[in-house]
Amino acid sequence: MTAKRYVDIYEAYDRFFEGERIREDQWDYTVVPNNASQMKEKYGIKFSKDIIPTDEDLCERLFLAGLEMLLVTGFYNTDLGRVMRISEDELFEGLKMAPQKLKLGSGKDERECVARRGNDSRKPIIQGGPTGAPVSEGMFVPVIRSYAQEPVVDTIVSGVLNTVNNHAATTNTPWEIRATMAEIRYVREACLMSQRPGMCI
Amino acid sequence: MKPFDAHEVSQLNEMKMDMAGLNMLAGWGANGDIVMMEQMPIFGGYVGGVEETAICDVATMIASFAIFDCDIHLDGPIHIRWGTTSTRETLQIAAHAAAALDQNTDFLLANQYYTLAGPCTQMCLLEIAAQAMTDTASGRELLSGVASAKGVAQNMTTGMEARMMGEVSLATCGMDVADVNPVIDRVVGLYERDFGHAPQGKRFQDCYDVKELEPTDEYVDLYDQTIDLLGNCGLDM
Repeated sequence: MTAKRYVDIYEAYDRFFEGERIREDQWDYTVVPNNASQMKEKYGIKFSKDIIPTDEDLCERLFLAGLEMLLVTGFYNTDLGRVMRISEDELFEGLKMAPQKLKLGSGKDERECVARRGNDSRKPIIQGGPTGAPVSEGMFVPVIRSYAQEPVVDTIVSGVLNTVNNHAATTNTPWEIRATMAEIRYVREACLMSQRPGMCI
Repeated sequence: MKPFDAHEVSQLNEMKMDMAGLNMLAGWGANGDIVMMEQMPIFGGYVGGVEETAICDVATMIASFAIFDCDIHLDGPIHIRWGTTSTRETLQIAAHAAAALDQNTDFLLANQYYTLAGPCTQMCLLEIAAQAMTDTASGRELLSGVASAKGVAQNMTTGMEARMMGEVSLATCGMDVADVNPVIDRVVGLYERDFGHAPQGKRFQDCYDVKELEPTDEYVDLYDQTIDLLGNCGLDM
């Protein structure tokens, strides 16, 4: 049936709120693994020794298995303890919202992230940085500069400050917010000092 | 943050989300921000083997776009024993999931790098190289890294690891996938037996002249040796 509209974040919340109630351990240990096993069997998913698949039919079946996995299983909200579901038509309607290209950064540091096809000759965007690894306050700017100064790096992914003003950046406290703001400032400063002020962070 | 920056939010393992994430998505959506949605399925975790984990990975990628309205999906299949993305199994999961999506959609797909070995070690650079070849040849649009030493130790990441990720990706672009597979196989074979005793590596301040921001001669020499080694494996850089 044709979807009336795609499921946005507000509709997703409403569906979570009104969804089937289920215990989280049931979800983790029964629902998800059982459904994954069923999809594997239904679509005959069996990998060869190759790391990257060269069998287009296998890729097609894996895509369909993942699609049906989402439709059959739904998604779980850990705070509400409930499951939301989406129909196939709504799902495809939502997929139309996905961008095929994005502009990241500004000025001469702007990079275009464009959908590649297979092993395209167009290189992927290289996002350099500690990727969430902890970095000390004293080393934060030099560490980020070591990425920003690399010509092959297009955008920056930040690290995490364990402390801010020598105070622990504890989760769910105002110090976490201060640490986050400090990270953003430091990353910008590192990009600026590397003559790349418009890098996407 | 500026309009051209990217905001990151994470799903939970497996096929789960919390209210904090939903609220962030609502705010960023209203502001028109670029959203990267992270999900790192666990190989050997709730769903078990490589095929089941890949099915789950594909499902969560589709959910990122169809339900949570993200712009880039940030993957990172992770090994339950080693906590890294560079094992043979997690590379295979990432590659199959990316190829399945690449064949059927134009989604913007990214992958994250968590190596077991730390900076200024050949194992770390080889782990990065294997994953960069895998991600590039399986059609991903963005490579994000590197959280060396599993991303858990302070100041154990440097720009040299990102250089390896980027340079290997450039060298891999355009190669026939059938030619890339044996190269990855040889590179993984060089480090996978060392997972039980991976080198910890060195801190950033021991890998770089912090004042001049130049990598040490030791790290540059190691980088060059690794490029030679990758050449022997069949990757022309």
